[in-house]
Amino acid sequence: MKYLKPAIFSLLLVLVSTATAEPALEIGSPWIREAPPGARVLAGYMTFFNHSATPITLVNVTSPDFESAEIHRTVIEDGVARMLPVARLAIPANGRIALEPGGRHLMLFNPARPLHAGDSTTLIIHLADGAEISLSVPVMPQDGIQNHPHH
Amino acid sequence: MSSKRISGQQGRILAVVIIAILATAAGIWSAHLVLEQRQPGISGLEATRFPAPREIGTFSLVDQNGAPFNNDTLKGSWSFLFFGYTHCPDVCPTTLSVLNSVAGQLKDIPDNIRFVFVTVDPERDTPQQLAGFVKYFNRNFTGVTGTPENIDRLTRELGIMHLKVDADGNGDTYLVDHTASVLLFDPDGRYHAVFSPPLNAGTISHDFRMMRQAYR
Repeated sequence: MKYLKPAIFSLLLVLVSTATAEPALEIGSPWIREAPPGARVLAGYMTFFNHSATPITLVNVTSPDFESAEIHRTVIEDGVARMLPVARLAIPANGRIALEPGGRHLMLFNPARPLHAGDSTTLIIHLADGAEISLSVPVMPQDGIQNHPHH
Repeated sequence: MSSKRISGQQGRILAVVIIAILATAAGIWSAHLVLEQRQPGISGLEATRFPAPREIGTFSLVDQNGAPFNNDTLKGSWSFLFFGYTHCPDVCPTTLSVLNSVAGQLKDIPDNIRFVFVTVDPERDTPQQLAGFVKYFNRNFTGVTGTPENIDRLTRELGIMHLKVDADGNGDTYLVDHTASVLLFDPDGRYHAVFSPPLNAGTISHDFRMMRQAYR
């Protein structure tokens, strides 16, 4: 049954209007990976689709449930994993950028309350033009985890 | 007089011949010893398998229950080792999820197969911290920590890079860059092969079966 969850959440597409009436930025299947006990940094993932003819730039992410949030990019060079902060994320005109495990991801620092699979939280995406997009994002279990303590 | 001289020459020639034969025999014998340790190759592996498994130097660490984890612990069963830290939000959970899938895919193998998460952040990763972390992924996984010196001794030996990165200078929220490979140790406790990222559970399971089958 767990394998159905990503499919269900992938249907939750968020359409956002910017200055024009056209929905320019679409945010697909946002989710936060449930953290193992003791971890104080959670990772968040989603896909940005830019349906407009101009680039859209994401400058910040905030949340009432986290002290701070940053976008990082996992880079593996010579077998060594590094995380590089991404200050501004530009989604190209008519393009898409995915935040996904092992690549770009949201780093969500110091949760204010315990977040378990099944919970959800609010993320606010701040764009360079001043627009803010509020998202309800589900917390989901680690991929493929069978003996999960919260179920 | 002259026959004695000839016999002396013959003696020297004989000695040279004997030495040559012994040297050749020693050469063949030592080459044989070296070749004997080399294992036959396996084609079609994604993993990097060493021509001869590597003995590793003495190390002394502890597991999540405080029990010793050392060279002897590695003996008697195959072990997958992964180095990371519990405050790592992306790569480490992803890799441990992959290893949990590998554990599931190898369930039919009767041998005990060990999955070990070794921290490269011993200052924050106490046995208690590791216990909750590894059990979250699989209750049979082992978490290993130790003094920074003992962790460094093992990582240096195995060529595992780790570097603390305190980007915002904010003390305890630092990140650690680290080698994201999965290392395979054989039941003789020797470093047998390495899987480099990107990691795939199906590939690791397939390659492990091949290596296990070829293992004497």
